[in-house]
Amino acid sequence: MTGMGPVITAWSAISPFGFGADAFRAGLRAGVPAPASATGPVPDAPARPVPDFAPRAVLGKKGTRSMDRVTALSVAAIGALMDRGDAPGASADGPAPGLVLGTTGSVQSTMDFTRSSLDGARPFHVDPARFPNTVMNCAAGQCAIWHGLKGPNATIAGGRAAGLLALNYARRLQAGGRAGTLFCGGAEEFSEARARLHHHSPGAPDGTVLGEGAAVLRLEPAGSVAAERDGLAEVVALEFGMYEEAEEIPATLLRCLRRALERAGARPMDVALVAPGAGTGAGGDSPERAALCELFGGRQPAEVDCTGLVGDTAAASAAFQVLAVLVRAEQDPALADRPALVTAVDHDGTLGCALLRPYPAR
Amino acid sequence: MTKPGRRVVITGVGAVSSIGTSVDEFLTGLRAGRSEVHPISAFETTGFEYANGCEVTGFEPERWIERLDPAELGRAARFAVAAARMAAGHAGLTPQDLAAGRVLVAIGTTDGETRDLDRLVAQDAAEPGAMDPRIARRASPSRLAASVAREFALADAEAVTIPTACAAGNYAIGHGLDAIRAGDADLAFCGGADAICRKTFAGFYRLGTIAPDRCRPFDLGRQGILTGEGSGMLVLESLESALARGARIHAEVLGYGLNCDAYHQVAPLEESVADCMRLAVADAGVKPDEVDLISAHGTGTKANDSTEAKAIHAVFGDRPPRTVSMKSMLGHTMGAASALAAIGCTLALEHAFIPPTVNHTTTDPECGLDCVPNESVAADLRIVQNNGLAFGGNNAVVVFGRYDEGAA
Repeated sequence: MTGMGPVITAWSAISPFGFGADAFRAGLRAGVPAPASATGPVPDAPARPVPDFAPRAVLGKKGTRSMDRVTALSVAAIGALMDRGDAPGASADGPAPGLVLGTTGSVQSTMDFTRSSLDGARPFHVDPARFPNTVMNCAAGQCAIWHGLKGPNATIAGGRAAGLLALNYARRLQAGGRAGTLFCGGAEEFSEARARLHHHSPGAPDGTVLGEGAAVLRLEPAGSVAAERDGLAEVVALEFGMYEEAEEIPATLLRCLRRALERAGARPMDVALVAPGAGTGAGGDSPERAALCELFGGRQPAEVDCTGLVGDTAAASAAFQVLAVLVRAEQDPALADRPALVTAVDHDGTLGCALLRPYPAR
Repeated sequence: MTKPGRRVVITGVGAVSSIGTSVDEFLTGLRAGRSEVHPISAFETTGFEYANGCEVTGFEPERWIERLDPAELGRAARFAVAAARMAAGHAGLTPQDLAAGRVLVAIGTTDGETRDLDRLVAQDAAEPGAMDPRIARRASPSRLAASVAREFALADAEAVTIPTACAAGNYAIGHGLDAIRAGDADLAFCGGADAICRKTFAGFYRLGTIAPDRCRPFDLGRQGILTGEGSGMLVLESLESALARGARIHAEVLGYGLNCDAYHQVAPLEESVADCMRLAVADAGVKPDEVDLISAHGTGTKANDSTEAKAIHAVFGDRPPRTVSMKSMLGHTMGAASALAAIGCTLALEHAFIPPTVNHTTTDPECGLDCVPNESVAADLRIVQNNGLAFGGNNAVVVFGRYDEGAA
């Protein structure tokens, strides 16, 4: 029995724990942070990269010569879902499968392209095959080409909140009858350019280790046959807010959380699991956590840390947190049918939360 | 699929463009067929054989931006926030109106603040390792929507930047339409913004798609795009909300369509562009023969214009509606393009005229469209369609309708 929200029916991950859902599941269950490189391009700033991810080895040599890393991560993560036996076939009348991807593409690709214009003998001596990489919807467009996704195709920015904004975009597409099956998630690459920009970003350096990867959900509309048959969890509510100064975060996020609970008809004490964006390490006294403490008082629900294990995966981070909820729900039958909250606070002002309801295992 | 009952109307617009940085200037410019093409000043153009563009000149952000410090905003965000302020003023929104309802901010873009990224690359090239922290801090594309929300102190708003390249303005309008239709939001700031940058100019130049002098959509002698910049912002509102506060309604958003070619990274696909127009017209609840005017994507490249024209013929038959390209006047403003064109559609419906396709000499028989050459004409318009096509095969088409007071 499904409600009104989209239903997650499958997921895939390429994470600092390695390639595939099993690697992510095993890493999360073990609870040991993914290996960090000793040092990154910014002094004293190690990273948690996806190990052994070589786009051409994973995707083959055809069509990958000029493909950048974030595009390859996205194409491969969706590929893992297309290869499954229950992948959606072509729909006779309804909308074709589509994609909503939280990402801002590759800032490395963009800056390298500019550099080639500045460094070349002539300013137009740039590689035309790499021009599409400099546009932020490159990954989503390539995923559509590789996997034949002719339905709605959108790219959503929003940093650490991008995965939640993408989910809300997908929810509206399905609610409006514009989309059937949607792949939805987030993708981020680790690069020198990103590390250097992050070093100067608002609130940074904040002690987090940068990570990378792609996390993708398969979403089916509420009430659809696929949702009833394969449902893992329902996306019940998504709420957002905007802060200017860090001290506004707790109150603004708290209002989001209360609106989400109200929409779900739930009380704080009903919540069985929380997946915050701020890790338990450096973010132990983060404003995000302050909002959660205020909401739950002394009765803190169980918590799953994702950022502390895979690093700050930026545009992929909220999508990874959703996966973390699904992994925990696989393990613990007591989480079924109870609200689980995912929270995200981005450096650039957006914050938000998702309320999920995992289904009982079948 | 039955649609929920909420109708969505446009109660305000704001335009920052090369032909005007106020609604009045923009309207006057469209009517007059104004185009401002000059040598690009945004970056050093030595080494390019030609480098003309449609830059925004004489723009004073502080004239519009009230709360934020323009120095903390990249050029695209300055355009977006200024256009949003303009649109809010045009809509007659009071701070109380903004505080009372649920607000969505949806801003499309192609390049975000790549103008700033270009500067950081140049800095690093001059002095390896150098990076101006203030520029680095404001370079995230997410700040386009975030800055608009902050300017209005919308602490409970959903603010989303949609970087779906050159159809992004239409994506943003469609997202606002869905949010208000479904009752998720009462009011939405929707639009797009981009600033001219070296990266994009060099890329299009290398592809051979930059016109040396003028942009001539649908013309036999068309040679490509001229890069432009600016921002278009629309205030979308539920009809009830607009009526309740006695707002002037400029047009109605009837529907939109969204699909993906899944074919090629940069070349459009006729069949799928046609499908997207069909989706939009069906969502609007009208028939193709009811569409009075098409505002084309119309970039002025050989490939785009002939593919788009064929798709229009496939949907609308032998006698398609008049089809204009505002890019002939504005240049290709990237993520702002379909938003500025949407404002053009809104003003055309309200003021009963068709903006022209300027720089026009001989219509390409392969396009075979009445593109309203060179001079605007008076026209009693009821339904207008706005096309947006993008890299990645991202198509988005929006349909607008005239709002007649008292009509059901």
